[in-house]
Amino acid sequence: MTTATGLADARLRKKAKREGILQQAWTRRADYLYVLPAILVMLVVIAYPIYYTVDLSFFNTPPGLQLRDKVFVGLNNYVVILGSDVVWRVTVNTVIWTFFSTVFSFALGLGSALALHRDFAGRGVMRAILIIPWVVSAVAASYIWKWIYHSDFGVIGAVLVGLGLAAHPPNFIDSVSTVLPSLIVVNVWREFPFAMIMLMAGLQTVPEQLLRAAKVDGASAWQRFWHVTFPHLRGVSTVTILLLAVSNFNSFIIPWIMTGGGPSNASHIWITHIYELAFGRQRWGIASAYSVLLFLILMSLGYFYVRALSSGDRKERGA
Amino acid sequence: MTSMTNRVAPRKGKPLDVWRWVGRIFLVLMLLYTAVPMIWMLLTSIKSGFAAMQFPPQWWPNEPTLASYQRLLDPTNSVGQDFLRFFWNSLFVSTATTILAVIVAVPAAYAFSRFEFPGRNFLFFAVLLRNMFPAVIFLVPLFILMRLLGLVNTHGSLILTYLTFGLPLAIWLLKGFYDNIPYQLEQAARIDGATRFKAFMLIVMPLSAPGIIATAIYSFIGAWNEYIFAYTFLNRNDKLTLPVGIQRFFSENTTDFPGLMAASFMMSLPVVVLFLLLQRYFVRALTEGAVKH
Amino acid sequence: MAHVVLTDLVKTYGNFKAVNDVTLTVGDGEFVALVGPSGCGKTTTLNLIAGLIPITSGEIAIGDRVVNDVDPKDRDIAMVFQNYALYPQKSVYKNLAFPLQMRKLPRAEIDRKVKDAARVLDMTHLLERKPRELSGGQQQRVALGRALVRDPAVFLMDEPLSNLDAKLRVQMRSEIKRFHQDLKATIIYVTHDQLEAVTMADRMAVMKGGFLQQYDSPAQVFAHPVNMFVASFIGSPAMSLIPVEARTVDGRAVLTGAEGWTMALSPLNARKVRNSTTKKVVLGARHSTIKLHRNAMPDAIPAKAYTVEPTGDVTFVQALLSGATVNISVPPNVVVQPDEPIWLEFDQERLHLFDGETEIALMAD
Repeated sequence: MTTATGLADARLRKKAKREGILQQAWTRRADYLYVLPAILVMLVVIAYPIYYTVDLSFFNTPPGLQLRDKVFVGLNNYVVILGSDVVWRVTVNTVIWTFFSTVFSFALGLGSALALHRDFAGRGVMRAILIIPWVVSAVAASYIWKWIYHSDFGVIGAVLVGLGLAAHPPNFIDSVSTVLPSLIVVNVWREFPFAMIMLMAGLQTVPEQLLRAAKVDGASAWQRFWHVTFPHLRGVSTVTILLLAVSNFNSFIIPWIMTGGGPSNASHIWITHIYELAFGRQRWGIASAYSVLLFLILMSLGYFYVRALSSGDRKERGA
Repeated sequence: MTSMTNRVAPRKGKPLDVWRWVGRIFLVLMLLYTAVPMIWMLLTSIKSGFAAMQFPPQWWPNEPTLASYQRLLDPTNSVGQDFLRFFWNSLFVSTATTILAVIVAVPAAYAFSRFEFPGRNFLFFAVLLRNMFPAVIFLVPLFILMRLLGLVNTHGSLILTYLTFGLPLAIWLLKGFYDNIPYQLEQAARIDGATRFKAFMLIVMPLSAPGIIATAIYSFIGAWNEYIFAYTFLNRNDKLTLPVGIQRFFSENTTDFPGLMAASFMMSLPVVVLFLLLQRYFVRALTEGAVKH
Repeated sequence: MAHVVLTDLVKTYGNFKAVNDVTLTVGDGEFVALVGPSGCGKTTTLNLIAGLIPITSGEIAIGDRVVNDVDPKDRDIAMVFQNYALYPQKSVYKNLAFPLQMRKLPRAEIDRKVKDAARVLDMTHLLERKPRELSGGQQQRVALGRALVRDPAVFLMDEPLSNLDAKLRVQMRSEIKRFHQDLKATIIYVTHDQLEAVTMADRMAVMKGGFLQQYDSPAQVFAHPVNMFVASFIGSPAMSLIPVEARTVDGRAVLTGAEGWTMALSPLNARKVRNSTTKKVVLGARHSTIKLHRNAMPDAIPAKAYTVEPTGDVTFVQALLSGATVNISVPPNVVVQPDEPIWLEFDQERLHLFDGETEIALMAD
C-alpha cells in the first residue's frame, strides 16, 4: 500500500532542508502540540534525573540522602571506582551475562521460529506455550526457578540424583562457579520467546517464489536456508539482537531476587551493583558515578542501536 | 499468522526428513524447557508445606490441596488480606498507567508518523534512546524527586514513572500502525468535509484500534510486572504492588514454597490470560516496526 | 458546477519547484486531463487545487471565489483517489453517506441521496458490503459514488483507473466519460496514461518538470505538438524522432541523415527548417504517416527492418535510421523479415520538424 501523494510530498520536503529551520518550525508549530505531552513527561522524569545524577557523582552525600550536607569531592568517586577490584569482577560478569544470554536467546528463538514455521497440528498451542515465559513476571520466574534450583528440595537436583548423574543435589546458585550460568538459563527462559516472535514475523517476509526458485535450481534444504531465508532475516535479526542485548545488559530482577549478586559478587552485574551501592549501602556518590559511566558507555552504543531501529522505518518510507 | 504453509522444508525426498525430525526434537526439548518450570510451579502450589519439602520429591502430590490458594484469597486472615491488597494495588496502578499511556502516546505516535517538523527525527531518536537506558541510572535522582514531590509511598510515583518509561516503546509500536494507514484516507475525509481533527477521530482512530489495544496490553503488562521502582519508592505494606509484596511475603515465610508458588501463579495468571487472548495484536505491533513488508 | 482558474500557480519545496507558474482555465462543465510522466507536477497541482497542500504563490479560484486559504472541506470539491481511499471499516453505504454526514444533512436526505447514487452506479446490492469484499472495479465505482453524492462544484480525479486491469480500465473509461456527459460536471483528471487523456478529455494539459507544456484539445495536441517532449509523449507507439542535418543542395533545402541519405522538403517544410537556430533539426513522424516500400523509390529513404511485431490488426516494423528507432505500421498482409532492406517514404504534409537545440516545434513564419 503506497500513499503516493504522501510519499512524494515527504520526499520533496526532504529536499527542502535548507528552507530555514526556524521558519519551518514556526510554520509547522501546530505539529509540535501532538508530541508536547510526551516530551513534557519525559523531560521531568528523564532529563532532570540525568542532570541530577551527574551532579551527585561529584559529591559525597550522607546515607540518609540529606542533600544539604553533601560534600564536594571532585572526581574522587570515579577514582575510587576505577581503582576497586569489584568493578572488574562486575564488568566481566556483565559481559558474560549479556553475551551468553543474548546468544542463547537468539539461537533458541531462531530454532523455535524455524521449527514453528511449517504447519502442523497443534502449532498454535505450541507457539502460545513457548511465548508464555516472556509474559510471566520476572519476579515470579525468579522464585519459580529458585525453587527448581533449591539445594535440598530442587526438582533438577532430584532428577540428577534419581538418574544417578550426581551423588547429591548440586548447589546451583549457592556456588561461585555455577551461579552465573544457572541465572543465564533463567534469563534465556524468559527472553527467547521475544526473539522467536520477531523471527517468526521475519520469516513471513521471505518470498516463497525465491524458495521455489532455489528448489528448482537444486538447492538443498540447508542451502535454501543459508542463501535465501537467512539473508532475508538479516534486518530483523540485527534489531532483535540489539534489543536483546540492551535488555540483558539492563537486567536486574533475576539476579537481584535469586541471589542478590552473591555468592561473593559472583552474580553481580553492573545494574545490581549500582542498586546495592545506592539503596543497600547508601553510597550515593559512588553509585551516581557508576551510573554516569554506564550512561556514557550506553550513549556510545546507542548510536548503533538507534540506527538499527530506525533503519526499518526509513526503508518503509521509501526514502 | 495461522495461514502459513510449509515454506522452509520441502515435502519429499530424504534430506527433508532429517530436518523435519530435527525440528520436532528441538520443539519437544523447547517445550520441556518452557513448560516444566510452570508445571512444577502448579504442582508445588497444590502440595502441603510438608509434602513440598521432601527428598526425593513427590513428583505428583500425594494429597493435592488448595489450601495455599484458599489462604491467599481469604480476606479474613492477614496473609489473604495482604495478598488481595497487593493485587488490588497492582490492578489500580497498571490500569491507570495504561489509560494515561494511551492518551499520551496516541497523539505523539500520530505526529511522528505523519508530520515532518524540524526536530522530528531528533525527538524520535530521543524516544528510542530512552528505551536503552536502565532504570537504575535514574533511580537515585528520581527517588529524590519523588521525595521532593511528596510522592514516596504513593501510587502516583509509580504511575508517573511507568508512564514515562513505557512511552518510548508505546509510541514506537503505535507509530508502526499509523505508518500503515494510508494518508489518502485522511485526505479523502478532509475533502469529504471533515476537519483535520475530525478526520483523525472518525477515520484514523477506528483503524488504529488494534494498535491501541496492543499498546494498552504492553503498558499493562509492563506496569503489572514492574519491580525496581516499586521496590524503591514504596515501603508501606498497604501500598505495595504484587512483585514487591510477594518478595516481602517470601522474606517473612522463607519455607512456604507452596504459598509462594500459588502466589506466583495467581500473579502471572491475569497477564498471561490477557496476553493469550490478545496476542495477535501484540505480536503484530511488536514486529511492525522491525519487519518490513 | 463551476469553472476553475489557476493563475501563476507555484509550489516549491526548498529550492525544488514542483509546480512552476502554471496558469490554466478549466471551463464550466469541461473535462480537463493533467497528463505527464511521474514527477511532472500533475498530482501536486491537483492536491493544490484540493487544498491538501498549501500553495507557495499564485492563485486558485473555484467558481468566482479565490480559495487559496480555504480548507479542503469548504472548497466544494470531491476527489477520487488512485487507491480509492475507501474507509475500510465502513460499509459501502456508510462510505457514501460520510460526506453528507459531515455536511450535517438530515438523515432522510442522506438516505435518499446515497440510494440515488447507488442506483446510478448500479451498486444497490453492494451497499452493505465492506470495501475489502469488493472487486477492484466495484471499489472504483464506490469511490466515484462517494464523489457523486456530494454534487460538488468540481470533481478531482487522481489516476482513478491505474489500479484496474486493462479490460476494466477501458470499460471504466467510457463510464467516466458517460458520467461527465450526463452530469455536465467539471472534472480535472490526473493521469500518466496519455491514452486516457486523449480518449476522455475535452482539453489536456501536458506537464513536465513542473511546467505546463501545452494546453489544448487532444486533436490539436496530437496534430500540432509544441515541442519534442509533447510529440513523443502523446500517441502510441511514440512518434519517431530522427536527428538530421539541414543543408542546401542546389539551392533547395534538404535534410541529410547520418547514413548519408538526403530527403527533399516541401516548400512549407523548407520554410520551417530555415527558421531553425542551428543546422541540427529533428524530424518527427508518426508510424501511420510513413510508407514502407520493398523496392527503391525516388523519394524513399533506404533502411533495414530491425524487428517486426504483428499485432493482428496491424504490423509494426521498426527500423534504425540516423541512430533513432523508427516505427512504421503496415497492413498485416505485408510480411517483412528482420534485416530485410526497406525504403521509407515520409508524408511531407504530416511531418513534424523540431529545432535540434531548443526542441521546440519549427514554425513556417
